[in-house]
Amino acid sequence: MKQVAASLLGAAFVPGLARAATAGFPAKTNAAFAGAGLKPTAYDLITSYNNFYEFGTGKSDPKPNAADWKTEPWTVEIGGLCRKPMKVDVNDLITKVGGIEQRVYRMRCVEAWSMVIPWDGFPLAKLIALADPLATAKYVKFTTVYDPKHIAGQNESTLDWPYVEGLRMDEANNELTFIATGIYGKPIPNQNGAPLRLVTPWKYGFKGAKSLVKIEFVAKQPRNTWNVMAPDEYGFYANVNPEVDHPRWSQASERVIGAGGIFGARQRTLLFNGYAKEVAGLYRGMDLTKYF
Amino acid sequence: MDFLVRAVRSKAVVWTIIVLPGLWPIWPLAVEHDPSRLADPLKYILHHLGFVACLLLVTVLTFSPLRVLWPKSKIVQALNRHRRLVGVSAAVYASLHFCTHLIYEGGTDVSALPSILRTAVRKPFQLTGLIALTILLVLAVTSLRVAIRWLGGRRWKNLHRLAYVAAALVAYHQAAARKIFPKQVLWIFIPLIVLEVARLIKSRKTSVAAREG
Repeated sequence: MKQVAASLLGAAFVPGLARAATAGFPAKTNAAFAGAGLKPTAYDLITSYNNFYEFGTGKSDPKPNAADWKTEPWTVEIGGLCRKPMKVDVNDLITKVGGIEQRVYRMRCVEAWSMVIPWDGFPLAKLIALADPLATAKYVKFTTVYDPKHIAGQNESTLDWPYVEGLRMDEANNELTFIATGIYGKPIPNQNGAPLRLVTPWKYGFKGAKSLVKIEFVAKQPRNTWNVMAPDEYGFYANVNPEVDHPRWSQASERVIGAGGIFGARQRTLLFNGYAKEVAGLYRGMDLTKYF
Repeated sequence: MDFLVRAVRSKAVVWTIIVLPGLWPIWPLAVEHDPSRLADPLKYILHHLGFVACLLLVTVLTFSPLRVLWPKSKIVQALNRHRRLVGVSAAVYASLHFCTHLIYEGGTDVSALPSILRTAVRKPFQLTGLIALTILLVLAVTSLRVAIRWLGGRRWKNLHRLAYVAAALVAYHQAAARKIFPKQVLWIFIPLIVLEVARLIKSRKTSVAAREG
């Protein structure tokens, strides 16, 4: 708690730490997703241990490399097969969906480590309702910003830029699917995907596309970037599943970031990252090994 | 130049160069309290130990080609005095790396070992590391003078050629360790490959000259 207060004070005093998507704070906790029994990971670790290859491929790279990146003002385009497409400022969007709330979610990276993150934001379902997709829209495609002039890592072909992710319509409308605009009651830092970051807690973290500029309703399943990069290692669904290994390592357990001192702590991985109750119904009858 | 030769000859200097990298993680973990490394300290240590083991293996493999290419160089001669020391330390670091992996995966739970090893054998990325480690340990054990006498010069020399197999396996293992291909594999192994090719070319020229001479 003291740590969070200290970093909040720091944000107030240090110039250049203002972020876009400042609307709606402070956010109230959604009691249905208060994370009972979960121990939230320290803010310091959540915001210092990041995979954001646009800013470097080391975990320590994104925080310093994205520090001076300007993420305000920020416009997001909502379009494709929908009745009410729009190009809207992020803060206006938050007002349109009725503000933000806080939810505590587990986050499981495909690299077999996990965190518990108190996100602030709004359910994607609210945005979808606003846009009013057509019946022909079967998937939602998310596109991350592409700006090699200001984002150094996009000048290298580490990944096929811009980063693209996708969800099936029913996954996108699921009660869990969230657009995060903050962490621990503060606007989301650049290294975590400011100002809008997709959060799908029952899937591996790479599904959570960062710094969204476009949300489109499409008819065909999008080719998500990691699937393009290594199709035998990263699938479209990427549902957390201890029974379906990564070709190079087991997914049966995970490191709990920040726990256990020098030796760390490990816990067994849960199917759908512990969210089976909310999402298992989406995959009834689907071969989870084939469609990984 | 003389000072440099004396430094490279010195066992104390070489020991220091070998031990210091092992202590390197202490700085970001215990002094800087770098959160990006404290997030998963053993993972950081695991990668670091593997990296040092790889560097030591590649380093010791450069000694022979350097000797062929610059046989008169006093520094190169000094380096070649330390082949066993550097080679064995590569094996030691590789063992520490593997032990860290066991603790990383299973903690102090000994009953987890069988499943950790089963996974290691099933996944080519991990299996290549295991085989490379085994080779390095065999080479370390047979680096004792008594082993050279017991095996005989030629058999010992052929056995120790397995170091090249270990290097190839380590290159693959290191390349497969991250989600994307790490460029460091290139800058570690390309110099070695260049040296080996140069050595082969020079050896061939020398043996042709010897035959014709």
